[in-house]
Amino acid sequence: MIEITNLKKSFGKHEVLKDVSLKIKKGEVVTIIGPSGSGKTTFLRCINFLEKADDGKLTIGDISVDLKKTKKKEILNVRRKTAFVFQNYGLFSHKTAIQNVMEGLVVVKKIPRDEAKRIGENVLDWVGLLDKKDYYPSQLSGGQQQRVGIARAVALDPEVILFDEPTSALDPELVGETLDVIKKVAKKGITMVVVTHEMAFAEEVSNKVIFMDGGKVVEEGTPKEIFMRPKEERTKEFLSRFITKDMYYI
Amino acid sequence: MNEYFDSERFIEDIPKILPQLSVTFSIVGISIFLGTILGIIVAVLRIKNIPILHQILGIYISFMRGTPLLVQMMIAFYGIPLLIWNLFQININDWSPVVFVDIAFILNEGAFLGEIFRSSILAVDSIQTEAGYSIGMTKTQTFLRIVLPQSIRMILPSYGVDIIGVFQNTSLVFTVGGVLDIMGRAKTIGTATGHTLEAYLVVAFTFVIISLILRFVFYLINEKIRYESKIKVDKRKKHIENL
Repeated sequence: MIEITNLKKSFGKHEVLKDVSLKIKKGEVVTIIGPSGSGKTTFLRCINFLEKADDGKLTIGDISVDLKKTKKKEILNVRRKTAFVFQNYGLFSHKTAIQNVMEGLVVVKKIPRDEAKRIGENVLDWVGLLDKKDYYPSQLSGGQQQRVGIARAVALDPEVILFDEPTSALDPELVGETLDVIKKVAKKGITMVVVTHEMAFAEEVSNKVIFMDGGKVVEEGTPKEIFMRPKEERTKEFLSRFITKDMYYI
Repeated sequence: MNEYFDSERFIEDIPKILPQLSVTFSIVGISIFLGTILGIIVAVLRIKNIPILHQILGIYISFMRGTPLLVQMMIAFYGIPLLIWNLFQININDWSPVVFVDIAFILNEGAFLGEIFRSSILAVDSIQTEAGYSIGMTKTQTFLRIVLPQSIRMILPSYGVDIIGVFQNTSLVFTVGGVLDIMGRAKTIGTATGHTLEAYLVVAFTFVIISLILRFVFYLINEKIRYESKIKVDKRKKHIENL
């Protein structure tokens, strides 16, 4: 279980996150939607300490940290329980697909090389890229790179995988294959937090949808509640472009 | 002295001069190896931007880049024994002059490579660091395993040029306490026989050949290490097939 309470973050004078709290149960898929600049990505990055929050509390599994004064060791512990999938893939450009997946297993988890290789090949097979295992990121398409990124995250067997707009950098034809893999991850029962602009995807896979705007959680609920019966005016306004008439009639 | 160049003498000089390459190579090897380590440390410390230390390193780099290597070697050769004597009352005057040459070369390389490394480390995309952190690696692991290898790949061409430069700079060392490298040997042959041109030509040819070999070696390493090269080869093949 993951719990974030009263998370606050400012960049200089600009307050990006104003007191955000979120509870995620084990195996739950949470999607965060909202307009650009609403703080979704920053929120996700704060969970993984890629951005340092100013205040708040974070609990992941059995560890609980005060975000105001976090020790190096605590940051490392949290990061070892989480994995991050980047918008721009973030693959190590000097390593092949399999080496990318193995890196964390060997260096961080201290799994023997042979064993790590076996896990890596399994996971790459699972995302449909076993034949590309010896390719460097520059030799792969965006969609393939992102699938390797997802494989790298899944291989670490984390308590939660954080997806930061995983399909935003992809051209429309490649979005599908990537979303299919993310759905597969969701079906596996891995806890996930996904920041996305793909509303149909959010509706299909998530157990809980969070709508953020202006650094606050405006509304949260099941996909049905958010997409079909949004309560808040701001949510309705934001979703008006995505919601078709049919969805209202269901 | 009626003939300027005698090819027989040229050939006779080769076996006299070439053994001194070991001196040249030892200077190049030591200064590149320790200079690289020093350069990485300097680069990292400069990037960390620690007050005072940052300024001290700035002065060090300006001094090393702003003064001729020959001057630096002289200062090392005459200055360091005096400094050590004044500080610790230890007499190191009988140390081989090669030691001081090495020190000057290492410090010089540290400054030059430090600046090269600094810019290449900063040029590695920050997402690479973030990706390292995200899979749970420590700062040191991320630096050593992700950032540094990528920055070294980036600077490899200029690194090769730098090593060739160091190699050629060794021609200055015989002026310091008579270190007998190939250049020093050529000079002694010239003094002993009165025929200097042949000996210096042997030295020139040696420098040319070794520089070419070094260039070729770096070309090979570069081709091997460039991960995009595979793609380029594939594209070239396709292009040829399409013709």
